[in-house]
Amino acid sequence: MELENVYYNKGDFVETASGNKVCRHTVLCGSQNIILHGKAIVQQDAIIRGDLANVRSGRYCIISRGVVLRPPFKKFSKGVAFFPLQIGDHVFFGEGSVVNAAVIGNYVYIGKNCIIGRRCVLKDCCYIADNTVLAPETTVPAFAHVAGSPGAAVAELPECTPDLMTEFTKSFYQHFVPHALC
Amino acid sequence: MAFLMYGDPKVKYLCSCGSMKPISRIYFCRHCMKIKCGFCVSHEVDLHYCSNCLENLPSTEARLKKNRCGYCFDCPSCQISLNTRAVSQAVPNPDDPSKMLSKKSYYLVCAFCRWTSREASIPDQNVANGGWPEIDCPNSKRVAELVDHYQEISLQEKDEEERKKKYQVRPSYFHYAEKYGLSAALAKKRMGGTPQRETRTQQSALVPAVASEEVEELSDSVFIEQLELNKVTTIKQRLASPEIQPTVVSQLYPLHKSLLVKRSLRCRDCEHNVSKPEFNPSSTKFKIQLSAFYHVPDVKFLTCEPVFIGKRSELIITVCNPTQHQSSFKMHPFELNLGAKGSGDAEESAPGLKLCLPECARDAQFKINGTIKLPTTEFQLLPRDDTAEFDDSNKGPTFNDDPKVVVWRRGNKIALRMAVSPDADAEGVLSIGFVIEYSYVNTMTTLEKKEPQKVKLKTHILLRPGPIFKSSQ
Repeated sequence: MELENVYYNKGDFVETASGNKVCRHTVLCGSQNIILHGKAIVQQDAIIRGDLANVRSGRYCIISRGVVLRPPFKKFSKGVAFFPLQIGDHVFFGEGSVVNAAVIGNYVYIGKNCIIGRRCVLKDCCYIADNTVLAPETTVPAFAHVAGSPGAAVAELPECTPDLMTEFTKSFYQHFVPHALC
Repeated sequence: MAFLMYGDPKVKYLCSCGSMKPISRIYFCRHCMKIKCGFCVSHEVDLHYCSNCLENLPSTEARLKKNRCGYCFDCPSCQISLNTRAVSQAVPNPDDPSKMLSKKSYYLVCAFCRWTSREASIPDQNVANGGWPEIDCPNSKRVAELVDHYQEISLQEKDEEERKKKYQVRPSYFHYAEKYGLSAALAKKRMGGTPQRETRTQQSALVPAVASEEVEELSDSVFIEQLELNKVTTIKQRLASPEIQPTVVSQLYPLHKSLLVKRSLRCRDCEHNVSKPEFNPSSTKFKIQLSAFYHVPDVKFLTCEPVFIGKRSELIITVCNPTQHQSSFKMHPFELNLGAKGSGDAEESAPGLKLCLPECARDAQFKINGTIKLPTTEFQLLPRDDTAEFDDSNKGPTFNDDPKVVVWRRGNKIALRMAVSPDADAEGVLSIGFVIEYSYVNTMTTLEKKEPQKVKLKTHILLRPGPIFKSSQ
């Protein structure tokens, strides 16, 4: 199915030279630690906690409304330490998801209202269905379709997932356009 | 957004075996030029790996370990991966008891349900990985005996069957051999040329199981004591460890994590691979990847007006050429008797392959309850060009398209407008179909044909645009 246009108010979004579209109504803590590698979309009410540790995202990374990206911490005998959060290319975060992962690979789809636990590792090409809760320190292998609470692999993704995800994120970016009147 | 992974539920392609699948789930065999799906290719296990530590195991080792990882565990209570947690304890120094030393010990903990290995009264370990005590299965000896016995029997039967069929065409038994763990023995025999007529040792004496009518009486405590449901395991927990089947929570024991497999797929007609993954468990690349998504025109659903009986609605679909060669396509009406004919062909070409779908289900999926007005002209599609998105010059060839039919063209994609109308007695979801005839450049070189050859192929496509409404009110 072809995607339909999603319209936004031009005044609400900042577009950078590399094509990132970031909504003004977002909370970007420690913005010097947040790197968006281009063509990323950060929609309203998203929270990115760059103040805890570095957050790096690849190209065509779509962060929907109300998503919380929070670098993970690890407890040591002498207090806690925060680790950077790495996100690959062509990653989609659905509305209202809370992400605490350590590494997110390329071509990852995270549905709506998911909780990705502390220090999870999501390998390339995985699919987290809506409303999934991933326990802390879970590894999701490539081509896994994870669903449920606690999240468990329920199916396998097709071999052409990388291209499906590329097409999806690119067409999402192309269909994310300002209102004609603004 | 499930359509992303399972394909558009509104557009289905007909596989050569007679089942309808979304484009992401079908393959295109370049050798026999046919569409194949997961049902009609043979699956071969390429490697076993653990989904938690992503380590791969050779198949013999995996079989020895009962297809489970030796180091990773699943929670017996909620079946997700367990984590190792370290605690440091102060222990007296053996040399000088007055001083205390800190010693690290490890236990397993589930980060989701908070189950710990201490609950199963497993002592903490001194090393982080491995060394966890294994539980003894009460029936392990008997099971091993039975497995040996049946392996022997199946080998013997195979031997006899082969002797009978010595001068007939022998089908491949590799599939079954793999199932029963006999491939090594069989391969050895095949390598030796003529099977040796070694006299088999008599089957090891197996004591047959004896049924008894006597059942142990339940103890009084069952009737007297209050049942605490919190301490009783669920069916899921019991089935997760079939060898001990714990009845109370305190008997739960960490489970070795089941291994996952990477598979290669092989066309059953020509025995060429249609998909072969790379050996690395976390790699997403393929050595051979013949997904239909890269070869067959991708038909996508764009918009459709609400469908009413007795009214024409406008349907817009897009067709995309995924190949590196220019292609053209033409649309033909869906042949109604195709279901029976198409699947019949598939069965003829692959004898012994009748698994896909029962006849009734097959006919039901081809049910067409509407008409579609197809354009009669042939359309040209540009090749796929990955650099097009960086090129703003827009200098493509222009086509003389009928603006009534072609809504727009972008690169290798074209949007077509068509009119659909449901049958007078139709109900439920509108289902319409067409046949797309497209040109395909096959770059496979064979002994006879060295040059890439251009062929015309046909694929049947079913569209389900949406529900049918009774009246236009």
